[in-house]
Amino acid sequence: MSYTNALHDEAHHHDNPTGWRRWLFSTNHKDIGTLYLLFALTMLFMGGASAMLIRAELFQPGIQLLDPDLYNNLVTNHALLMIFGAVMPAAAGLANWMIPLMIGAPDMALPRMNNLSFWILPAAGTMLILSFVVPFFPGGGSQINTGWTLYPPLSVQVGMSMDFLIFAIHLLGISSVLASINIIVTLLNMRAPGMTLMQMPIFCWTWLVTAFLLILVVPVLAGGVTMLLFDRHFGTSFFDAAGGGDPVLFQHLFWFFGHPEVYVLLLPSIGVLSHIIPTFARKPLFGYKSMVGAMIAVGTIGMVVWAHHQYTIGMSLGAVSYFMIGTIIISIPVGLMIFNFIATMWRGAMTFETPMLFAVAIILMFTFGGLSGVMLAVVPADMQYHDSMFVVAHFHYVLMPGAVFGLFAGVFYWLPKWTGHMYDERLGKIFFWINVTGFNLTFFPQHFLGLAGMPRRIIDYNVMFTEFNAISSVGAMIFGFSHLLLLYIIIKTIRGGEPATNRVWEGAKGLEWEVASPPPFHTWETPPLIRQEQTS
Amino acid sequence: MCRRFTTVSRLLLLTAGLAGFQSTQAEYGINFPPPAADVAQEIYDIHMLTMRIATFLLLVVFSFIIYSLYFHRKSRGYQADQNFHNTWFGNWSWVIVPALVLGVDLTIASNADTVLKKVWDVPKDEKLMDVKVTGHQWWWEFDYLDHGIKVESRYIPEEKAGDLYLREVDNRLVLPTDTKIRFLHTSADVLHAFWVPELAFKKDAIPGYVTETWSEINREGVFRGQCAELCGTWHSRMPLVVESVSPEKFQEWVNEQQAIKVATAAEAASTKTWSKNELMTKGKALYETKCAACHQVTGLGLPPAFPPLNGSPIVNGPVEGHLNMVINGKPGTAMQAWGSLNDLEIAAIVTYERNTWDNKAGDTVQPTDVALAR
Amino acid sequence: MNPRNDQLRHKNRRLAWILGGFALLVLITSFPFWQNIFKVLGEAVR
Repeated sequence: MSYTNALHDEAHHHDNPTGWRRWLFSTNHKDIGTLYLLFALTMLFMGGASAMLIRAELFQPGIQLLDPDLYNNLVTNHALLMIFGAVMPAAAGLANWMIPLMIGAPDMALPRMNNLSFWILPAAGTMLILSFVVPFFPGGGSQINTGWTLYPPLSVQVGMSMDFLIFAIHLLGISSVLASINIIVTLLNMRAPGMTLMQMPIFCWTWLVTAFLLILVVPVLAGGVTMLLFDRHFGTSFFDAAGGGDPVLFQHLFWFFGHPEVYVLLLPSIGVLSHIIPTFARKPLFGYKSMVGAMIAVGTIGMVVWAHHQYTIGMSLGAVSYFMIGTIIISIPVGLMIFNFIATMWRGAMTFETPMLFAVAIILMFTFGGLSGVMLAVVPADMQYHDSMFVVAHFHYVLMPGAVFGLFAGVFYWLPKWTGHMYDERLGKIFFWINVTGFNLTFFPQHFLGLAGMPRRIIDYNVMFTEFNAISSVGAMIFGFSHLLLLYIIIKTIRGGEPATNRVWEGAKGLEWEVASPPPFHTWETPPLIRQEQTS
Repeated sequence: MCRRFTTVSRLLLLTAGLAGFQSTQAEYGINFPPPAADVAQEIYDIHMLTMRIATFLLLVVFSFIIYSLYFHRKSRGYQADQNFHNTWFGNWSWVIVPALVLGVDLTIASNADTVLKKVWDVPKDEKLMDVKVTGHQWWWEFDYLDHGIKVESRYIPEEKAGDLYLREVDNRLVLPTDTKIRFLHTSADVLHAFWVPELAFKKDAIPGYVTETWSEINREGVFRGQCAELCGTWHSRMPLVVESVSPEKFQEWVNEQQAIKVATAAEAASTKTWSKNELMTKGKALYETKCAACHQVTGLGLPPAFPPLNGSPIVNGPVEGHLNMVINGKPGTAMQAWGSLNDLEIAAIVTYERNTWDNKAGDTVQPTDVALAR
Repeated sequence: MNPRNDQLRHKNRRLAWILGGFALLVLITSFPFWQNIFKVLGEAVR
């Protein structure tokens, strides 16, 4: 390191900005990680509120609380807020916080770009909320009633709020592509000397695959919605059959993004689980290599099976057979992941702190959701399930345990490391039980609704569907309000509590547990020495 | 020994669970309704097969986890086996597990593929009865292409439909049993999807596309379904009701419908000058079936997507502009072209719109005016 | 906060640009201009 360069670094390293400058101009991965997590928490509550309004409306047959367009608008916003506002930023927040600590890097590879990719988010979030709000102002046009899939021609009919949404998606896309680039560069270039790729902690591997998936698919969504924008305003007819376009093309583009997107949501949480289960079972992860292989396989196969979301558009027999078999094949790597988790628990010495409780619940419920996914993959049967409440039940059973609970588990697992305080274990467990009970009460009955013939995304239903909808809505209220307890636990832990040790958990292994709790502003300025036992 | 015991008890548990599931499903409506076509029966069977396989696998996974949760815990003093992942099992499980899962996958996929081949393509080299199903915002149009009949099917308001609200329509899709029927699906505006669970298929109605499905209904009955693809504001108000009757009864129904069609055409073609009262009565009935879904019975619409007609400048303006809007629609908006209605119907609707609520145009529009405007 | 030296910083930026360029390529190819190319090619073969 040259003398001037050393001076330069010196100047930066001892500059601990305070006040709003610390956050707005932050290039520190821990601060940006915190910002991401706080943003995700805010969006989680907004998305949750919209979900609870939806369920409140569906509590009884008839239209009581909302009007149909507002209902559809909420359905759209719930999905977008949760996927783009809550889950993806939360996973990115975990990545920002943990990846440099785990691989012994002083920071992310491109700190200023890191700042940019976070600060695009509040703008995008505002735009997203505006798309929900503008129709209520004079001249605001009609509400977005298309669902998050934004299928034309319906999305061409919608008023200017659709334009807000399209730009929100552009911004969100730019943000996540920049974050992905940063993560890939960090993982490939910034590992501590001596750490090979196959020695990386598994959370880093999940993010490496996720980031590649994002770079491959997010631009496709951006392209799709751009064409939508052109169709709406510039007289093109990409998706207008009357002008020689093809409405189905948008569905292909959307799901080419949309299906890998579910793995984008899933994989970081799988990574979190791969740390939590070995920690609390007090034995190494079973099958590190097969885990990495399975992840890459899921990512690869996941890229080429998108059209199983569109079995009903009238594809040829050959095409649907291909998409069916491809989709069923995904159960092989996913099954291997679940097997590895169970084998990690097997013959371990388990204790059940909150992160582990979530981990076990995730394995049980994700297996359930995965198996209903195999049922959905079967084309003839999907002729029935498609666009019914069965699908709603299925994807909440994979996305809640597979993504959201994994993030909750990760927050409980690393919160002592971030704040330096232990969270309240008793409250954590109470939260877990209320949360998981509420979740199952909400979504389990929806399987029956779907099979009995209730389509999804309807505001009003026949009396024959009353009972299960009522149960589901009661469950949703329990589930929704339980998150206030989560908020309380997090605030309480930030404000104080029993001091956490560096290692925090008895069975925790890895570089992130060797720095202090909370970690100093700058960590790993001198790269750690990699010993074999730290990484295996 | 212990191991075998758990296996046996697991099997017992499984059979008990499945038996319980099957005996309850009929009573509470938690599974598909009984199929009404041979093809639907096959779909039902593949659904039950995959569900049983899934339930079995779920129980296997759950029992391993529960066993482990109970025995391998620190509070029981269990010592973690630090080398479990280095045993032969640990080294080869990445082959064993995928092989097992592949076996299950192939069972499901091969069965599914057999059914798929029977279901997917419309039988060739056979004469099928063609029914064109067109989705509209928010009603269904059924064209019996072989019989020259057209049926418009709309939901019935709650006051009239009672417990069948959102599951009953004014005009049902009447179909003969034991006849191979080809459905041709398309849409006039946005995406819709045809779904009647007893017929066990779902197909999207896509503007500019014609997608095909087929069915051969094997019993008489009334089968209820709904539109399954989000199609805007009143997506919830697009029920589908299939009434299957014997081929003889179907022929009677067809004759009846054809007679009605001839009578309507004759009425519309007559050169008679209609009185304002006649037009208003006809217009009110037509408005309330065809226009009120968007513009509302009150004429207040649902702005901004569906503008009010009460006090609207177009309705209160020159007749030509009003007729043009109804006949040709307004491209790029939800207002579709209603040119497929006959002259009398359009004349009645336009007259009604111009003279009801607060609209006081005072004029009557005759079928001949409509013919001129076309 | 900063990469450890100029060489690493250069390496990081180069990789980031490559990945960014790749994302841009994906974006551009998602516009269906290639549909007509396929059509033209198909006709040329025939």
